[in-house]
Amino acid sequence: MINLIIDNKNITVPRGTDIFLAAKNNGIYIPGLCYHPKLSQYGGCRLCMVEVTERGRTRHKFSCAQPVSEGMQVKTKTPEIIKYTKSVMEYLLAHHPLDCPTCDKSGECGLQDITHDLKLSKGRFKTVRMNKPMRRDNPLLEFNANRCILCGRCVKLCKDVEGVGAIDFQNRGINTIIGTAFDKPLDCSFCGGCLSVCPTGSWQDRTFKFRARHWELKKTTSICPYCAVGCTIETNTKDNTVLKITSNDARGMNEGNLCIKGRFGHDFVHSDKRIKTPLIKKNGVLSPVSWDDAIGYVAKRFREIKNVYGGKAIGGIGSEKCTNEDNYVFQKFCRMVLETNNIDNLSNMKSPLLNTLIHKSIVHGFTSTTSLKKIEKADTLFFVGADVTEAHPVIGTLARKAIRLNKADLIIANLRNVRFDSIAKNDIRLIHKLGTQAPLINALIKTIIDEKLVDLKRVEKATDGLRELKSLLKTFTIKKASQITGVSEETIRKASALVAKPGNCYIVCGKDIEEDPSGPDTIKALMNLCALINTASSLKTDAGKISLVFSRLNNNSQGANDMGVVPDFFPGYLDIDDQSNRKRFEKSWDTKLSDTIRKGTAFNLIDLALKKKLKAMFVMGENPIVNFPNGKTVKEAFRQLEFIVVQDTFLTETAQLADVVFPTATFAEKEGTYTNMAMEVQRLNIAIPPVCNARQDWQILCDIAKKMGVTLFYESSKEILDEIENTVPIFSGIYYERLIRQSFNWVTAHKLKSRKYKFEILNPKSVTVKKKRDYPFLLLTGPSLHHLGSFSRNSNSLVSVASECFVEVNRKDAQQMNIHDGDEVLIESIQDSMKLKAKVTKKLPENMIFIPEDYEWVHVNVLRDNVYTKVKLSKA
Amino acid sequence: MNTLNRQKRDQNEEIDFSKAEEILDAYEGVHGALIPVLQKIQAAYGYLQEPVINLVAERMNMNASEIVGVATFYAQFHLQPRGVHIIKVCCGTACHVKGAPKIVEKFSAELDVPVGSTTKDKLFTLEEVACLGACSLAPVAMIDEDVHGKLAPDNVTQVIQKTK
Ligand code: SF4
Ligand code: SF4
Ligand code: SF4
Ligand code: FES
Repeated sequence: MINLIIDNKNITVPRGTDIFLAAKNNGIYIPGLCYHPKLSQYGGCRLCMVEVTERGRTRHKFSCAQPVSEGMQVKTKTPEIIKYTKSVMEYLLAHHPLDCPTCDKSGECGLQDITHDLKLSKGRFKTVRMNKPMRRDNPLLEFNANRCILCGRCVKLCKDVEGVGAIDFQNRGINTIIGTAFDKPLDCSFCGGCLSVCPTGSWQDRTFKFRARHWELKKTTSICPYCAVGCTIETNTKDNTVLKITSNDARGMNEGNLCIKGRFGHDFVHSDKRIKTPLIKKNGVLSPVSWDDAIGYVAKRFREIKNVYGGKAIGGIGSEKCTNEDNYVFQKFCRMVLETNNIDNLSNMKSPLLNTLIHKSIVHGFTSTTSLKKIEKADTLFFVGADVTEAHPVIGTLARKAIRLNKADLIIANLRNVRFDSIAKNDIRLIHKLGTQAPLINALIKTIIDEKLVDLKRVEKATDGLRELKSLLKTFTIKKASQITGVSEETIRKASALVAKPGNCYIVCGKDIEEDPSGPDTIKALMNLCALINTASSLKTDAGKISLVFSRLNNNSQGANDMGVVPDFFPGYLDIDDQSNRKRFEKSWDTKLSDTIRKGTAFNLIDLALKKKLKAMFVMGENPIVNFPNGKTVKEAFRQLEFIVVQDTFLTETAQLADVVFPTATFAEKEGTYTNMAMEVQRLNIAIPPVCNARQDWQILCDIAKKMGVTLFYESSKEILDEIENTVPIFSGIYYERLIRQSFNWVTAHKLKSRKYKFEILNPKSVTVKKKRDYPFLLLTGPSLHHLGSFSRNSNSLVSVASECFVEVNRKDAQQMNIHDGDEVLIESIQDSMKLKAKVTKKLPENMIFIPEDYEWVHVNVLRDNVYTKVKLSKA
Repeated sequence: MNTLNRQKRDQNEEIDFSKAEEILDAYEGVHGALIPVLQKIQAAYGYLQEPVINLVAERMNMNASEIVGVATFYAQFHLQPRGVHIIKVCCGTACHVKGAPKIVEKFSAELDVPVGSTTKDKLFTLEEVACLGACSLAPVAMIDEDVHGKLAPDNVTQVIQKTK
């Protein structure tokens, strides 16, 4: 720590802090426009001059570029400094258009504030308007170069934080301007980062323009409703309308960074396509009815079905998008009121072993604790089957921070050459063959063992089964591994060395692993890898040196599982067949659970429906008809059902099949908690009252229960969370009020007892994919930056940027078939066919095509079957 | 690894990249080599064209916007093809006083080309420069290596004809 004096105030700050920040953090104001704590220094605006006395010498320095030193004395407001700063401002203002009345930044503009602060009213220079043309070349961002003071913040953010580098200083002298290469229209990831750091009104959100003045906005801190990163957002509202989403650098692990979905994808809240009243199907048409009628009808039908077929004839699909509280009440409602244990959520249906595997990895300390933010402190990053740039963009920004400030190395293992722009010194891509992810991880393990990259004696002592593992891998030489996986021996060696090197390594395990048939094997291999390195390490950090982060798809995919919307666990992963767990919930819920609340045999709700074992289905906030593989079967399964109830904000494909539809509130109208993929429980807050006639999901459930003669009574989400706190051990200590300031991580809060690790002995065979002569291509599907679920689909902003789904085709294949970018191609599988525009790329291996699966209006799942889908391709 | 630029480059196949690749090979792994690379590439190709810049971006793991930024910062780099003859009209103080703007205007009208650009037939590039150091001859212009002093709008046509 360093002690210094700023404006007669004694201050202590960490070494390396610059004067600017030291002053700011201690309530002393220094003007400055180019400095930004999350960006590297630039020292370009020249406004932050201070007088520094050090070792008897007094000099003028730029405070943002001057680190503090012991005993330093700083004055920020001498007459000379003020005179200097004023003249710098005069220069800046000489060319400024001063069009504040029509500028959205007005009221929160750095330039305005400093002008006001220095009482600048008359400049000495003749002012000139530059009249540079306004750039409006994309749907979301507008650039007004006349307002730009060339502070360079947006350039640095775009390059360093977002990794895109779409913009830079162009030209020189008076003609300098922020622009794209060759003056092309802006075509970037539209993270809006430039907008968020610009101190002036140069960058403008086109979706917000002229809709409100800054001071009329109410800001409500909340959590992004899209992906499982769980970025903290600020919902800006006026007259109960959400007008824009901003972010606060000081709140949340995202440090004010968002992706396009989080920042621009909010307009679905006021979409006129929202369901406005409850609907009941009459003569095949969904018609508006009152809440009372709809609830009464559902209660009556459920009672009838229960009486005739028993509760287990009703299935329930919980939601990866609704809050923890909604999901908790959902499983309670199903188990207690409907008396069925046939409940699940889509993520668990897609990868049924994942919960157990994650739990195991937690028990052995392989799972990242506390926060995703830790990724920014990584020394090595290893993305396995994870397309971070598309699926979890802000993990990408955290990773880039580690690469930039921590000199982290990067390894990406994937089937496709996924895009991740980085400046990592070691940037290794393990582009492997299909179905060889498990052998690839084993190859790393083998190399680490063979080359003794870790202290094997230590590992042997701390674990069981190392010998078996060694003998299993005996004949699995690196050469063989290289042949199987298609990754060169040298690359395998390099990657192994990086994974085993000292320092923190974060493995992000992606959807391509989790949803693959060989997923469990790969995850077990990854755990072996973690064990090998962690037990060899002498460092006793909480999560060891290497940790696994399991990606989840949606904002609350983790929470839906945590809350027990799965057939095998009560909330908190308590075994449902365990008598004491059953007692625990019976006591809390003051009920006697029906005998049917048992794990039963392995099943899947879709199969059950197909086998006609289900008569009714209750779907909360999901669209399985489109979002579950093998769309044809799902549709057929739903057709077998007698009665379908759907709660949703939009009339999705699933809702259209329903007999009753309830309109539900969106994130802006909701409170409660979401749990992100690092098990951080974060709180969202109500920004506006429910739009239309919508209700909270849990409220609807309670209303139905009441009609069915069971009181589930809660006044608010807080009461539900209190019950969870009381009943579910891993959530004890979670308090709603406390969540305002800090997220709660159940892994950290409840260190599960660690057992000795026993290596999983796996045969490192690759999955063979049978070729079909008529269907020579393999269909891959995956995430997309622009879309996720029915929210993005109803956001005009997102659709305006990404309006059309596409199919990626390898360049060689395309050449052979004479397919060019933008050509329409026909994709046929055994199940179905569809036409899409082609995008020719080198990212893909030959004989494979890729379709993003989250353009929800394009039902890619109808092409898919349960495992690998083979397709044929032709020019349409 | 900059994959975006690579995709962009894939779409452009008519240009012979081999010379640029050679230059880039020679500077492989050298830090801060952008300016010499651009100089050599400009010497080989005449100007810095878009597909070649995208190649440089990909090979040097930089963003095209940054490279164009550098290229537009220095007067020595050109992003547009240049003419056979380069006309540099001096716009320094002395020439300005002696009517340089009129001279520029005349050249521009005569060649039908805005300042900073090249004629359609690729014969002339018209540029303004700060000072040629020949103030005693003001207003002055340089065409390739020849200095033309004491210009008047009226003899601009003649000067052009002579050069052709
Ligand atoms: S929106 Fe993001 S990617 Fe696009 S220019 Fe701005 S900072 Fe760069
Ligand atoms: S656009 Fe804004 S952030 Fe970018 S250089 Fe100009 S003033 Fe700075
Ligand atoms: S979609 Fe994900 S990465 Fe993007 S802002 Fe929302 S939580 Fe963050
Ligand atoms: S804030 Fe220090 S120079 Fe801009």
